[in-house]
Amino acid sequence: MAYAYLFKYIIIGDTVGKSCLLLQFTDKRFQPVHDLTIVEFGARMITIDGKQIKLQIWDTAGQESFRSITRSYYRGAAGALLVYDITRDTFNHLTTWLEDARQHSNSNMVIMLIGNKDLESRREVKKEEGEAFAREHGLIFMETSAKTASNVEEAFINTAKEIYEKIQEGVFDINNEANGIKIGPQHPTTNSTLSGSQGGQQAGGGCC
Amino acid sequence: QDSSVVNKFQQKYWKTKQTLIKVTGKKEDEHVVSSDADLDAKLEVFHSIQRTCMELLKVIEQYQRRICFLSQEENELGRFLRSQGSQDKTRAGKIMQATGKALCFSSQQRLALRKPLCRLYQEVETFRYRAISDTWLTVNRMEQSRTEYRGALLWMKDVSQELDPDTQKQMEKFRKVQVQVRTTKTAFDKLKDDVCQKVDLLGASRCNLLSHVLTTYQQIPESSQVFLTITTCCIF
Repeated sequence: MAYAYLFKYIIIGDTVGKSCLLLQFTDKRFQPVHDLTIVEFGARMITIDGKQIKLQIWDTAGQESFRSITRSYYRGAAGALLVYDITRDTFNHLTTWLEDARQHSNSNMVIMLIGNKDLESRREVKKEEGEAFAREHGLIFMETSAKTASNVEEAFINTAKEIYEKIQEGVFDINNEANGIKIGPQHPTTNSTLSGSQGGQQAGGGCC
Repeated sequence: QDSSVVNKFQQKYWKTKQTLIKVTGKKEDEHVVSSDADLDAKLEVFHSIQRTCMELLKVIEQYQRRICFLSQEENELGRFLRSQGSQDKTRAGKIMQATGKALCFSSQQRLALRKPLCRLYQEVETFRYRAISDTWLTVNRMEQSRTEYRGALLWMKDVSQELDPDTQKQMEKFRKVQVQVRTTKTAFDKLKDDVCQKVDLLGASRCNLLSHVLTTYQQIPESSQVFLTITTCCIF
């Protein structure tokens, strides 16, 4: 399918239901039991500012033995969803994950911190704690539930918006694929500022 | 699973690579190593059980030999005192005779230690031949499968370097390796569990064995010791 931009996302964090989050976003369904993930891929089209954007999502393994392999997936990611689990103490490992992410990706990568799961009764990490952590490290923050789908769309789309804004501001060099952004095959690169949104729409329509 | 010659060859290649890393002592992936920390701790326990059982056997053998010597010497000294005492008509002669008698008795008592010691030796040896070597086989199988799993991880890391999920051909290759990682991981995880359980059981059953066999041993030295003390007290 044609797209104006392609953003590469990576989902990281301990074993906290990352695959559930992805499945909810791409297939709009919830499946509580998954095979052990090593790396899985998902893709979905979204529209921002009238432009078709393809999100290519890399869902990685939370298990420690795959850590080094996961590191090779950071390269060329435009956005990262760092997921912890509000019912367990996966919150303490966030610093390690964040360090890993910052070290192995480009510095402009947009990172969204996500507190997942909706078992309010078993909550151990307060929403405020998540917010504070995000503020401290310059991340966007959201609490989601892969089960009820609450905030799942928003998490993925808000991250994309942030990336899109960075492109508009010229922070991301879109011609460098190491930034995790690809320009769609039919995207009119010459006058993108003038008719960019329209061009994107046409590209999307032309394919379908 | 793909069983083509190429695939088999690749599997062998990565397994060999991992074996090489292991035998040359090259630094392995720290995360992979630390994710096996619980298993490695259990292996440490296993090796300690293996080592200390060997040592125990050696020590029992030496101990037994020394007991024999001691008993012999004791017996000779006793007989010597008795014969010398019989020639001496003073009170000293009487004491010598009594001490000689006590020493002869004690030397016999000492020999009684040998029976429970032999029993202990046999039990420990059987334990080593059966239980330890059985666990050892499982440990070896686990190590084999660990090498295969770690080899698959190396392979996976290699194909992950330039991965593009939108390229069909790359993804096919990637999936193939992913299957290999999954299969070897499942096998390894199972054997890992087996090893941990067996080592736990091994430790517990050795404790059991020792406390059981040593009861008879512990009863004997007490009685012989007590006897010797009493006689010595009486005499002097």
